Amino acid sequence: MIKQLAIYTGSKALSIESGVLDFINYTKSIIFSLRSLRYLSFRSIYNIIINQIKFTGVDALVIVMIIALLLGGTVIIQALTSLPKFGVEGFLGNILVIIIARELGPLATALIVIARSGSAIATEISVQKWSREILSMELMGIDTKLYIIFPRIIASIISITSLIIIFDIVAFIGGYLLSQTVVYIPMDVFGQILLDSFTFKDIVAALIKSIIFGITIPLICCYYGLKPSSKFEIPIYVSKAVIRTLFISIIVNIVISVLFYL
Amino acid sequence: MKEDRLDDLILDVQNVTYSVNGITLLNDISLSLKRGDNLLVFGPESSGITNLFDLIVRTDSGYEGEVLFKGESLKTLDYFGQLMHKKEIGYVHGDYGLLSNMTVEQNISLPLEYHSKLSAAEIKKHVGKIIYDLNLDHCRKLRPFDLTRSEMLKTSFARSLVMDPDLIYLEYAFEDQCPLNVKTMMKILNERSQLPDKSLVIITYYPWNFIDISDSFIMFFNGRIVFKGTKEDFLNSDNPYLLQYKNKSIEGPMVIL
Repeated sequence: MIKQLAIYTGSKALSIESGVLDFINYTKSIIFSLRSLRYLSFRSIYNIIINQIKFTGVDALVIVMIIALLLGGTVIIQALTSLPKFGVEGFLGNILVIIIARELGPLATALIVIARSGSAIATEISVQKWSREILSMELMGIDTKLYIIFPRIIASIISITSLIIIFDIVAFIGGYLLSQTVVYIPMDVFGQILLDSFTFKDIVAALIKSIIFGITIPLICCYYGLKPSSKFEIPIYVSKAVIRTLFISIIVNIVISVLFYL
Repeated sequence: MKEDRLDDLILDVQNVTYSVNGITLLNDISLSLKRGDNLLVFGPESSGITNLFDLIVRTDSGYEGEVLFKGESLKTLDYFGQLMHKKEIGYVHGDYGLLSNMTVEQNISLPLEYHSKLSAAEIKKHVGKIIYDLNLDHCRKLRPFDLTRSEMLKTSFARSLVMDPDLIYLEYAFEDQCPLNVKTMMKILNERSQLPDKSLVIITYYPWNFIDISDSFIMFFNGRIVFKGTKEDFLNSDNPYLLQYKNKSIEGPMVIL
């Protein structure tokens, strides 16, 4: 029993190690490919960037705003009703900034982007690979790593940064309005509390999170998108892409929060 | 003298042996192609004709021997050299490899947009001419899934022409086409084959379809060259491998499984 457990654990550890090494090599090869930027004409990736921003950013706007409104409302209602019970209502602004701006905004946005765009990126690339479209690009002398992944990273950084800002604004304003149905707090007082609680560090941390999410989400999803070697493997790798990107995003969120606020 | 010879050759494969996972796919292959000439390579399935692509177009370097393109060894190319080499060859495959999220016009424009310094207007004009020549005007805004097989082939061919490469590599490109629709393409291919300094390599199971446009013929079997000759040789040779292939017979020196 113990022997079997040891074998299982050992083989899992080796499998994780080889997976991590493979991902590191993939990342290195993309960094190496950046050298072919000198051969790349920006106009050839312009459309990919615009389409990806439209899909990841613009098309996700409604769902991000609805979720921001609901989550913002919930947090604000909970804070406004619960904090006075403990006599710490003076920390209302800090609590809201900590929960919504520092943690919930970036993470919830990342989760929405992973669910919508991450899965779409992994599927699109794996289908392109299966139908020899990627090979076809390579045979045109196109550096596919650069052509496929680089514009998606640029588009994701722009989209995620914008979505996080919009999420926070909607969560605060919309959440405030929603909370007025339960408890009353004057708008100017609420606004002042928030402004007093925001620090420059919060803005930098949110910005860094959005940049790292913007890099990691397309990077991991493209990695798994390029993996399938047959049609039946496509759903397997798309599922892996979504789950592992989710996992990594949560880790990234924690690490940045620890580095900034601990 | 040697330099003159190299200058004249667009492709020179010298004593190449190519193995993958311990299986020898090409065994001591030598062939060459002069600028302006057209080479037809044929043979049964698993004969090695498909693997020439790995050496010449995909630039796999795991082989013994030498493959020279315009006098330059493909083995010595680094990552970026390989990309630059690939753009010098127009490649058309029977699967067409069209990008499904792009229109016909965008598919054809892509190599120019990526590689060239031409302005958007110049690219549009250049691509427009190719689209007109290949009679693709009616479908220029359509995506691949809306196209017929002959339109897909023409789009793929147009894309291979757009950089005006010295060599076009056609791999089973016409194998699954309507025999009537393919006539237009054959006419265009015929015109292309007459151009000086422009060469074709045609990989096919049906050599008799390309007799008029090919200058030299090579037949493969079991990773070896079993017949090499001119059009006259192809038509008149009593090479037993060639005869068996031409007769589509399973009896002969080639054991067909």
